[in-house]
Amino acid sequence: MNAIDPRIHQALDGELAPAALSAELSRVVERLVTAAALLAAPLPLASLESRVMAAIRRPVPSPARRLLRWLATPRAITFRVRPVWSLAFAAVVALLTLFPLGHEGPDIGEHEGIAQFVGRFPGAQSVHVVGSFNDWRSGSIALEDVDQDGVWRATVVLPTGAYEYMFVVDGERWVPDHLAERLVADEFGRENSIVIVRPARR
Amino acid sequence: MKLWLGLALLAGPLAAQSAEARLEGRVPGAAIPAVDSLVQRAYAEGLPTEPLIQKALEGGAKQVTAPRIVAAVQVSLGQLRDARDLLVHGGDEPPVTPGEVTTVAWALRRGLPGPVVQRVLVALPRPPRASAMHAVADLVAHHFDPDSGADLIIAAIGQGLVPERLLDVSAAAARELQRGHTHAEALALVRQELPNVPASPKPTRSAVARARRPAAPTPP
Repeated sequence: MNAIDPRIHQALDGELAPAALSAELSRVVERLVTAAALLAAPLPLASLESRVMAAIRRPVPSPARRLLRWLATPRAITFRVRPVWSLAFAAVVALLTLFPLGHEGPDIGEHEGIAQFVGRFPGAQSVHVVGSFNDWRSGSIALEDVDQDGVWRATVVLPTGAYEYMFVVDGERWVPDHLAERLVADEFGRENSIVIVRPARR
Repeated sequence: MKLWLGLALLAGPLAAQSAEARLEGRVPGAAIPAVDSLVQRAYAEGLPTEPLIQKALEGGAKQVTAPRIVAAVQVSLGQLRDARDLLVHGGDEPPVTPGEVTTVAWALRRGLPGPVVQRVLVALPRPPRASAMHAVADLVAHHFDPDSGADLIIAAIGQGLVPERLLDVSAAAARELQRGHTHAEALALVRQELPNVPASPKPTRSAVARARRPAAPTPP
């Protein structure tokens, strides 16, 4: 670091008249006085204001963009696991998979399946499905029209196999299932529908 | 041998008794002796009796007259005999199993020609054949040519598809028809897919939860 000439100090402190200095020292003193004046001057007010206003006027990013930015920003996550808890968690997941909660309805055997019967009978008071699965006995499987829209449904557990059936509407009208793709002559001048019940556990 | 003979002697009267008991009150009284006689004849010939009883019960439920019930049961007995003959011609050793006779009788009732049934029997020399027969019958119900339908199902069997999945083959062909393909195109497309035809959906959990067993039959 160069030492400053003591006469410069004296000139800056006003102890020595600038005229008493050499031309070179006078220039140095002039430069230092200019620099001090610059440093002492307040910051330009207009510049600060414009920067603040620019920051205020900047549009707020949308929630989606903020979420995206938050998701895209790398973060360090510390995850401490006790092995005993992770094993317990795995056991709970396995149990829920094997024995799901909220499972109601009958237990279905290996040689059983589910048959769904649906028919549109607006204005009907009752609809039953009758077939070789219930010895053609009316009344054992009633369809329901829960939402009163004329569409009657029943979901039934049956042994696997093929069965012939018909709907009995209001206890007297025999109607084939028009939605069934399989039909066969019943030898009485009408057609029975056929349902093939496949094992539920496949 | 003695045990089997004893069981057979016991089973004869039991079969007769159970048929009458099941028909009583459900079938017009005038039809019961004739139906029972046909059931006994079927039993004596080693044919399944349940389809005959079911036909009589169906007639009774539909309030059909006694002569028509007897006639329908007679037709059913004839179909069972035809089915048995096809099975024996197809290579099954007599006595053929009642389940297989019923399966083939179904196929004939659903409109499969005898020679087509025989082709399926040759392709599937061992039971169960119900799925294969129904798969071909499903194709015929969708107006596929019986021989072409049988070709497809036999090809699926040849590709190692388990019998249970054969119904998925006929369902796939029906889907292709719905998509606007011709019968020939549908068969060709499904044949290309074999053996990876889509499986039919399993019952949903909500369907299982809704399902119930039929109420126990009330005594007549």
